[in-house]
Amino acid sequence: MGRLRIGFYGLTGCAGCQLSVIFNEDELLDIIKLFDIRAFPFIKASNDEERFDLVFMEGLVASPHDIETLTRIRAKTKTLVALGACAHSGCIPAYRSFTLKENYEHLLYSKAKDIADVEPEPISKHVKVDYVLPGCPPDKKEILHFMKEIALGKTPKFNHNPVCVECRLNGNDCLLIHGKPCMGPITSGGCHAVCVTGGFECWGCRGPTGDANYKAYIALLKKKGYKKEFIKTRMMMFAGKIQPEEMKACLQ
Amino acid sequence: MDALYRLEADKLDIFLQSLGPDIYAPVKTDAIRFQKISSVKEADLTALADVPVKDFFFRQREQLFKFTKGKIATEIKDAPFRIFFGLRRCDLNAVKHQDFIFIEKYKDPYYTAQRKNTLLFGYHCDEALNKYCFCGSMGLEEYHDIMFFDKKKYFLLNPGSKVGQKIVSEAKLKRAGTLKKKDTIPKGTDRLEKKDISKLFENSLWEKGADECLSCSACTSLCPTCYCHEVKDDVKLSDLKSGERTREWSSCQLKSFTRVAGEHVFREKRVDRFKHRIYHQLVYFKERYGVNMCVGCGRCITHCPTTIDFVSLINKMK
Repeated sequence: MGRLRIGFYGLTGCAGCQLSVIFNEDELLDIIKLFDIRAFPFIKASNDEERFDLVFMEGLVASPHDIETLTRIRAKTKTLVALGACAHSGCIPAYRSFTLKENYEHLLYSKAKDIADVEPEPISKHVKVDYVLPGCPPDKKEILHFMKEIALGKTPKFNHNPVCVECRLNGNDCLLIHGKPCMGPITSGGCHAVCVTGGFECWGCRGPTGDANYKAYIALLKKKGYKKEFIKTRMMMFAGKIQPEEMKACLQ
Repeated sequence: MDALYRLEADKLDIFLQSLGPDIYAPVKTDAIRFQKISSVKEADLTALADVPVKDFFFRQREQLFKFTKGKIATEIKDAPFRIFFGLRRCDLNAVKHQDFIFIEKYKDPYYTAQRKNTLLFGYHCDEALNKYCFCGSMGLEEYHDIMFFDKKKYFLLNPGSKVGQKIVSEAKLKRAGTLKKKDTIPKGTDRLEKKDISKLFENSLWEKGADECLSCSACTSLCPTCYCHEVKDDVKLSDLKSGERTREWSSCQLKSFTRVAGEHVFREKRVDRFKHRIYHQLVYFKERYGVNMCVGCGRCITHCPTTIDFVSLINKMK
C-alpha cells in the first residue's frame, strides 16, 4: 500500500489547530514519510486536490465560502476528521447564534459588505464527519496519536473520560472544591488537563463527555454561589451547538 | 512488638536526620502532600494529608517496558532509601494492602522497586482528624517500622519491625512502658455501623449516592488502596514498530473502565459503578483476602466535589 493521500484545510477559524499539527516539529519528517501530504494551503503553495484518503478540516462553517470548500473537499475524501473545537462544536465563533444580531452586525458586517455570513455551525451540520479531534486548540500529541492509529489500520477511539481523570493523574487539587466553576467533570478529556494543571479552571473546550451528570454538576455550582445565567453562559461557550439533550433539559 | 521508647520532642529532628537524607513528610502546599523535608518543622501534622503516599510506590504512570521490533527491554531502577514520616494508621494499613497485592499476591517488580528501600514511620492520631474518619470501623492492624505517639514534650516510639527495633536500639532510647491495644485505635472513628453490607445490594439508597456522583474519579485517585489501572501501548511514528507500554491509574467510576470488545459497557449505569467501588472496598476484597480493603481514611468523601458520604448512606440502610 502506498502512502495515504492526506490534506489539511481550514474554514473560518484562527488556524491555531493547523498550527498544532505543525508544532509536532520533531515528528514532521516522520509524518511526511508515512503520509503523502497532497494539500495544506496554510503552509504549501502548490496543492493537489484530486482525491484524499484522509482530510483534517479545521474551522467552523460561518460563510458561504466555507460551505463550498467543505462540501467540495468532502466529496473527494474517504475519511474526514474535524480538527479542533470550531470544526467539532462551532466553538466560540458560533456563540453569536446565542446573541442578538443587532449586537454585532454594525461592528463588521455593515462596514465590509463583501462579507456574507451564514448561521455558524460545526462542520457535522453540513457533512458527514468520521472522526473528531476536539479542543481549542487540539492536543498536538493527540493528533500524532490519531495519525499513528490510522497508519496502523486501527479504529481511533474518542476519549470519553472527563478531564478530571487526567487532572487527578497530574496530582492536582480539585478547583471545584475550592469554589471555582471548573467544567472538568462534564468535559471530554484527552488534553492532559493542561489548563487546570496551570491553575486555570476548565472551560469545556473539548465538548461534553457523554457521561456527564449535569443535574448534580449544576446543583453543585449553584451551591457554590453561581447563578443560573452564569452557568448557562459557561456551558454554551464551547458546546452551545452540540448540547446533549440532558444538558439542554438542565439549562431550561 | 509492644515496647515503647521515649524520645524528647526537641530531639526528633536529629533522630530523623541521622537516619538518612531522604525524609518525606506531609507538607502544606496547595494541599497537604508528602514531600522531602530538610527539617521536621516543615511537616504539617495537624490534619490528614490530602494526598496519600500511594503514588510514591504505585505510580500514576509507569513505563512497563520498551519494545523495538519484537524485542522487549525492561528498565527497573530501585528507588533510593526513603523514610516516610507522619503516616496515619489508615495510610499505613493502606500500604499494607498495596504490599499484599503488588508484592505478596502478585510479584510486581515495578511496585517492589519503588517500595523496597522504604521505612514507614507512623504518627498516631489520638482521635478522628475530621468528621469523616472511620478507621476504627475497619479492623486495622499495626503496620509500621516505628509508630510515633505525640506526647507534646516527648514522643513514645513503638517499633513494629526488626529494622524499627534496630533503629530504636541504636539510638539508645529508654524504655517507657508497654503499648496497650486500646491505645492504638484513634477515638471517635467507628462511625460505620456494623452490618452485613453484602445483603444491602438492592437497597434503593445507593441511587441517592449515585445521583450526586460526577464520575470524576477523585475518590479512586485519592483512595490509598485503589489499585486499578489500564495498560497502553504507544508506538513511535518513525517505524510504527517500536515504542513503549505503560500502565496508568484507571477508575471503576468511569464508563471506559468496563468498555470491552464491541463497545459493550457492562457497568453502564452510574449507580452500578458507584456500588461496585464500595462493594470492592467493603465486601469483595474481604471475601477473597479476609480483610477490608477500605482503611477508613475518608478521603473519598472529603475530596468528593459533592461530598457523597457513603458511610452515613450505609448507616441509613435497613
